[in-house]
Amino acid sequence: MRPSSSQATGISPETFVYAARDFIELSDKYMDSWTIYQNDNEILSTHLKREEFISHRDQRGKVFLYRAEYVIFYNLSYGVPSFSFNVWDCTGKLLTLEQVRDISLMKTRKEDFFSVVTQQEHPVLYKPYFIIHPCHTAELLSMFRKTSKNLIITFLSLITPLIQLNLPLEYGLL
Amino acid sequence: MATPENVKDIIQYVPFTSFVNPSFWHSFTDIKFNVDKLSENTKQIYGRFSYANDIGPVFEVDGTAFNKQPEAELMYLSIRGTLMNKNTIDDFKSIDKASLLNSIGEIIWHNSIITRLWMCNPSCLLNFFILSFADLKKYHYYYWFAFPTPSQPTVFLKEKSKSILTEFNESEIRTISQNYQLLHHSQRCFFVIRKENETVKVETLSNIFNRTDNTCNLDISSVYFAFTDPSNNGNPGWPLRIFLAALLEYSAIFHGSVIKVIGIRSSKEVGCQSSQIFNVMLPENVQCLQKLGWVGWERNDRGNFGPKLSDMSASMSPKKLAAESADLNIKLMQWRLVPDLNIEIMKNTKCLLIGAGTLGCQVARNLLAWGFRHIHFVDKGKVSYSNPTRQVLYTYHDCRDGGKNKVDAAAESLLSIHPDVIVINSALGFDSYLVMRHGIWSPNPESTTIHSTYVPGDQVGCYFCNDVTAPGNSQKDRTLDQQCTVTRPGVAAIAGALAVELLASLLQHKLGVRAPAPYNISDEMIDPEFEGVLGPVPHSIRGFLHSYQTVVPTYRKFKQCIACSEVVIDNYRKEGINFLLNVFNSGTYLEEVTGLTELQLTAEMSEVLTFSDEDQDTDE
Repeated sequence: MRPSSSQATGISPETFVYAARDFIELSDKYMDSWTIYQNDNEILSTHLKREEFISHRDQRGKVFLYRAEYVIFYNLSYGVPSFSFNVWDCTGKLLTLEQVRDISLMKTRKEDFFSVVTQQEHPVLYKPYFIIHPCHTAELLSMFRKTSKNLIITFLSLITPLIQLNLPLEYGLL
Repeated sequence: MATPENVKDIIQYVPFTSFVNPSFWHSFTDIKFNVDKLSENTKQIYGRFSYANDIGPVFEVDGTAFNKQPEAELMYLSIRGTLMNKNTIDDFKSIDKASLLNSIGEIIWHNSIITRLWMCNPSCLLNFFILSFADLKKYHYYYWFAFPTPSQPTVFLKEKSKSILTEFNESEIRTISQNYQLLHHSQRCFFVIRKENETVKVETLSNIFNRTDNTCNLDISSVYFAFTDPSNNGNPGWPLRIFLAALLEYSAIFHGSVIKVIGIRSSKEVGCQSSQIFNVMLPENVQCLQKLGWVGWERNDRGNFGPKLSDMSASMSPKKLAAESADLNIKLMQWRLVPDLNIEIMKNTKCLLIGAGTLGCQVARNLLAWGFRHIHFVDKGKVSYSNPTRQVLYTYHDCRDGGKNKVDAAAESLLSIHPDVIVINSALGFDSYLVMRHGIWSPNPESTTIHSTYVPGDQVGCYFCNDVTAPGNSQKDRTLDQQCTVTRPGVAAIAGALAVELLASLLQHKLGVRAPAPYNISDEMIDPEFEGVLGPVPHSIRGFLHSYQTVVPTYRKFKQCIACSEVVIDNYRKEGINFLLNVFNSGTYLEEVTGLTELQLTAEMSEVLTFSDEDQDTDE
C-alpha cells in the first residue's frame, strides 16, 4: 500500500487538467455525457462527472431503477487520477457496497473488491463516496505513459474490469 | 401498461416516476436550516425529465432544483415546480390532498389556460408539486410528488400508436431533430410539425394560434401536434394530457375531431427516430374542465397513492457515517487478514469497566477500536486536575468546578470519539504491569486432569491466586493496583492495549472463555488445539519496562486462593453480606477462612524459600 516507487511517479495537477479537458472534447464528440467541473482558483477541485441509470431485475423479476454517478478527480497524495462513485435508489438513498455488488455493477470477487474500494469523504465533493484505492494507479499508468494518447481514457480502461462502465468504443480509435 | 390493441382505446397516459438525487436532500436541508428555518412558505423549484427512449418516464430533482435558472442537460427538459414543506408530520398527513391539488390546478387553469399564455409559453402547462415533511434529526424525508393535470376529458386512440418512420423518412426526421434542438427550451414541451410538399417545418404554437383571436381557422389535418414525450412504450407520456385539455378549452374546432400527435423521443444514435405517432380522437361534448377536478399524485412503491420516505441517515447523519467507517475498518481486517474474524461478537459483548482511571480510559479506547459498543464504567471519583495527562478520556475542562463525575465524563468522551461479562484485570507497578484473564467458576469442571502443556481456560488462576505464590507478601502486594498513579505513563497504555487484545483473542477463540492457556507460547510448534482465530490465548502477560521484557506465565487456580477458591465462594453464598463485612473488618479473616494462615505457619516451619513474581511454578 505504499505510494508508487520513484520509477512510477505520478502526474502533476496541470497534466490531469489538460488531459481532462481533452477527454471532455472526445466525450462530447461521442456523446458520452461526461461533464467537467473546473475552478480556475482551485485547480485541485477539477473533476469529471457522469451519471447514468441502471436497471436491475431482482430474483422475483421486479425491475428497480438506480442512478449511478461516476467522478474522476485528482488525488493529491498519490499524484494520479482517482475514480469514485455512488449509486442511489429513487428516494436518493445511497446503496451500500454490498448492494452495489448485488446489482452487478461490479463483477469482482468479494475479497478483491473490498480490498480496493472504500467509502470515505470525497476530497473534492465533501460527501461520502466509494473511492477506488489509488495505490497501484501510478505504476499502471506509467506502463502506458509512452503509448497513451489520453491519460483519462487509459485510466478508465484500468477501471472497467472492476466497474461496468459502458464506454463508447470510439475512444479506442485514438 | 398494456399497449392499446383495439380501435378506440382510451388513452392511457404513462405517469411520471419521481427520482430524487441525494444532492436534492442536501440542498433542501441546507436551505431549511439556514434560510427557511420555521417558515412554511412554498418555494419555486425546477425538475427535469428525459425524452431519451431508454429509461422511461423518470422525473428527476437534484441539488440544482433550488437554483434561479435550471441547468440545461442533453436530452432533458426542465420544468417548474413548487415545494411545500410542512414543519410537522401532522400537518403533512392532515392536509387535504385532493383540494390541495385542485387549488394548484385552479391556478394553472387561470394563469395559463384561460389567459392562453400557453400559446406563447407552452412550458407553463407543465408543473410539478412536492409536498414534504423533513425529520431532520433522523434525516428522514417524507415526500409526495404531484404532476397536476385535469382529470377530464377522456380521449381515445383511433388506432394503435406507430413509429414516426411510417410517415416521415429518415432525412425528414433528421430535420425534425435539428430544428427541435433550435427551439427555445420553453417551446420544446409543445409545438407543431408541418409537412408541406417535400419540406418539414418545426414551428412554435404561436405560429399557428393567435392568443387574442377567438376564431381559429386552423386546418387541423395539416399539422402534427408534437410534445416532448417521456414515455418509452406504446402509450403517450403524461404531458400530453394537459395539452389536449388546453386545446379543447381553446376552440370548438377540436371538439369531436381527430388530431395527429407526435411524441418526440430521442436516442444518442439515431436522434428522434424512436418518436411515436398517436391518432387521437377528441370528444364531442366537453364540459367545463376545471370543475371536474385535478389529478396527478404519484403512486408510491406499493402502488398506492401515498407519500414516499427517503431515509438518508446512512449518508447524511454524521453519527452513522462514523459508525460505518469504524466498522469498515474492522471489516477490512476480516477481509484482508483474518477471514474467520467474528465481528458480531465484539458488537454484542457488554463490557463492565471497574474504575475509570488511567487503565480504564486506555482500555475503553481500545475496546472502541475493536468494535465493542457496550461499555459500562463503575467509578465513584471525580476528574481532578492531575488526571487528564494520563487518563486519556478527560480534558482540562472536565476538572473545572470541582470536577465532573468520572463515569459521566468518560461516557461523554467516548461518545464524542464514537457516537453509539468477562473479567480481565490489570495491575501496574512503577515500571511493570500484569494483564491476566481469570478462570471461570464452574460447579463441575469438565476435567481436573493435569495436562503437561496447558491449563484449560476455566481452570486458570486469578490475580489473587498468583499473589499467594508468595504468601508472606500477600498483604503487602494486595494493593498493587493502587499504585498506578506513580507508574511510568506508557505502562497504562501498554497494559490497556494488551488487556483489550487478550479479550479480543479470547472472544475469537472457538472455545471462548474456556480457551486453553498454554504453558509455553512460542512462534513454532503451536498445537492447533491452542490456536484461536487470532492465535493462542495466554493466561497472563507480565511486562517490565525497566528491562523491556515480557513474559507470559500460566498457572492453575490455587485451592486456597483468597478470591476464587471454593471455600470463599461457598462462604459468600451462605452468609452473603455478613461474610463481606467480616472480610472488611479483619485483614486476616480471608487468610483464616482459606487456611492460608495455617499454610504460612507450615511454610515458616519448613523454611521454604519465597517465590518471586516472575516464577511460573505451578505448585499447589
